[in-house]
Amino acid sequence: MKLVFVNPERCIGCLQCEFACAVEHSTSRSGATAWTEKPTPHTRVHVEPGPVMGTAFPSRCRHCDPAPCQQVCPTSAITRDKEQNLVLVDPETCINCAMCAMVCPFDALTFHPVAVGTGERTVAVKCDGCVDRVRRGESPACVEACKVDALVFGELNDLVAQGRLHESGTVLAAVTAAEAGQDAVADGPVAAWRSWGAAASRVESSATTVGGGSR
Amino acid sequence: MSTREFKDVRALSIASDAQQMIEVARAERVETVWDRLAAQQPQCGFCSLGVSCRNCAMGPCRIDPFGAGPQKGVCGADADVIVARNLGRTIAAGSSAHSDHGRDILEVFAATAHGETNGYRITDEAKLMRLAGELGVATEGRTTTAVAVELADLLMENYGTRRTALSFVERSPKVRQELWDRLGVTPRGIDRESVEMLHRTHMGVDNDYVNILLHGLRTSLADGWGGSMIATELSDILFGTPSPVVSTVNLGTLKPEMVNIALHGHNPMLSDVIVQAAEDPELVALAHELGADGINLVGLCCTGNELLMRRGVPMAGNHLMQELAITTGALEAMVVDYQCIMPSVTDVAKCYHTVVISTSDKAKFPGAVHISFDPGRGIEIGKDIVRRAVEAFPNRNPSRVRIPVEPVQLMAGFSVEAILGALGGTPAPLVEAIADGRIRGAVGVVGCNNPKVTQDYGHVTLTRRLIENDILVLVTGCSAVANGKAGQMMPAAAAMAGPGLRATCEALGIPPVLHMGSCVDNTRILVLAAALANHLGVDISQLPLAGAAPEWYSEKAVAIGTYVVASGITTVLGVEPPIFGSSNVTGLLAGGLDDVVGARFAVEADPERAAVIIRRHLEAKRAALGLTALDPDAIQLPVATA
Repeated sequence: MKLVFVNPERCIGCLQCEFACAVEHSTSRSGATAWTEKPTPHTRVHVEPGPVMGTAFPSRCRHCDPAPCQQVCPTSAITRDKEQNLVLVDPETCINCAMCAMVCPFDALTFHPVAVGTGERTVAVKCDGCVDRVRRGESPACVEACKVDALVFGELNDLVAQGRLHESGTVLAAVTAAEAGQDAVADGPVAAWRSWGAAASRVESSATTVGGGSR
Repeated sequence: MSTREFKDVRALSIASDAQQMIEVARAERVETVWDRLAAQQPQCGFCSLGVSCRNCAMGPCRIDPFGAGPQKGVCGADADVIVARNLGRTIAAGSSAHSDHGRDILEVFAATAHGETNGYRITDEAKLMRLAGELGVATEGRTTTAVAVELADLLMENYGTRRTALSFVERSPKVRQELWDRLGVTPRGIDRESVEMLHRTHMGVDNDYVNILLHGLRTSLADGWGGSMIATELSDILFGTPSPVVSTVNLGTLKPEMVNIALHGHNPMLSDVIVQAAEDPELVALAHELGADGINLVGLCCTGNELLMRRGVPMAGNHLMQELAITTGALEAMVVDYQCIMPSVTDVAKCYHTVVISTSDKAKFPGAVHISFDPGRGIEIGKDIVRRAVEAFPNRNPSRVRIPVEPVQLMAGFSVEAILGALGGTPAPLVEAIADGRIRGAVGVVGCNNPKVTQDYGHVTLTRRLIENDILVLVTGCSAVANGKAGQMMPAAAAMAGPGLRATCEALGIPPVLHMGSCVDNTRILVLAAALANHLGVDISQLPLAGAAPEWYSEKAVAIGTYVVASGITTVLGVEPPIFGSSNVTGLLAGGLDDVVGARFAVEADPERAAVIIRRHLEAKRAALGLTALDPDAIQLPVATA
């Protein structure tokens, strides 16, 4: 089963996924006019800034299984589409009690009026995995919009394996270069690899200083 | 990340030559503009709405059009200010491009007047004297040289700071000049207005979107009644004022047995001497020696239009044909000057034997041979360029030569002088035909190609619907090439027109679609509109006129559209400009502006619907003038497309 996988280190904070998501969940599906619609369409993917300037994380519903939101929904408004393995909210049955948001480990739910259903009442809104697009064999709108592969769509194990392959390639290139004695200079691959590691750990140690320097 | 593919070539272009060459490019894995557009999908939503700003380093910023995120940039600019700033800078860039082109022509004109050029002369002395007289330069008993020197000085002054109004503003109706003065948008200096726009859109200067947009009008007027108009008028004086000429168009203008040289870009300055150089007996002999039957020059884009208008040089294609001309495998050299030349042409050329030769020190292309243009050695440089093309002929791979179609005939060369000449020296016959309703009005269908639009579909469809309904169409730039390829620009095309327009065209022996030149030559349309208005003693905005840019893409097109509207002609755009993120700016440009300058913008992607909008507009203008008019609401879409 395909799903959307997030590579947070690749996110450049452009917000294209948010924009594409809001347009995809509008009535007109037009980037020029979607924002003028009533009720205003809202994004269901949320790019939140990281602890250091220039970092960001596109957060969205993980479509958990079992899904805590589904387990606690008193009106059974939250169901699972078995075919696409996506957790969906029915705005007509939702009573806006926010139980789902209380238990969601990722704070993926927001509350707004939506164009389907009543069109006026505030209901729980979250990523529907672009279920219509996926049924048509397309990738979700956020993935299509992401130019840097921070959001990718595929089989989970394949995507994780791709990451492993990339890491092993980087490590082996560094090690091979070092053994062949090609890395006497400071800006060689091993140095780059180490500085990458150092930079990554700096992000953690300076986690509380927003705007406190560059990566 | 994923890319959308556009599989069916019929969705990319209506032109057979383009469709066939796109298939060839795909088969040979040559990347084209359509592949790159697909790879860019979806494009940035913030930028498409105009609500992103990267003018300063507190940013970049963007406004969340959906309302949940930030509604102001770091400096405090809201969507109105950001959209207006971006639009203002776009107009300034377009105006600067035209005006710098005009300056280059002006410098060659001045140098020619001083006898410092080679390969150039004052070709149309009568026009020089006429223009000098119009602008107050004494001509009585003076030599051509003396007049030209003084005229050049006067026009150079138009670029600077010393004037309160540009010289050519005087050509517009008095009421229009007074309106511009009242609004504070009379253009003062060609460079000045663009520079002032850059100043105003710096952080913390003009923070009132209406004020920025008003200066946008002034910046565009400095192009239309300034830089572009100087380019047109001086090009006529140097290279000849166009008169009707029949030539051919499409990739079939490339000849399999000849050395083919495409002249691409916008400035006729160098290409005109290349035409002279290509006739050099020594170079023709060299071509024969290397196995070719001769040297064949073709045009691309507006350099092509300049040469077609004045010398009848065949036209290979418009903007989106530039890569495809190379994929024919029959092009020895592409000589480029500037504007609209895709950086990709040198990449495409690497897959073939084509030599790309850049000629302007302002416009260099990695992978091209650069031969710096110097008007003092014009003809020598021209010969050097032609020689390199001829020498590339033996490198051609004959098995890769694919010329997809037979050329189509078109008539070009309709300068204002030529049109008035055809009318018997006065606009009266045209005014009469419009007044009695045989011709409902006139529309300039102009502008670029844009791969977001099926190539030429917007130009050809809109033009066809207009002439069918007795509306005279004036074309320039890429639109002229599209209409020519579609066979709508020969006198015989009068048969496609409604009965009134058809009769008028047949009586005069002209096509219903008149080629008025390159994109700087949109000023010819302004001059004609002003002449009609002055003849009737009304403002331009009262006339049954409209503009349309069905497939526009460039900053220059934004400047043109704005000066056309600011001059009082309502204009319909076929591609959404990046302004929709501000409902205030959009509302002003698409509505409120009508109460300010008597014209406004409309945006309509479907040319069938655009034709209806324009026809309704013309009939409303006719009614206001007291002419016979149809009820605008009675004009509906053709049933098949409604």
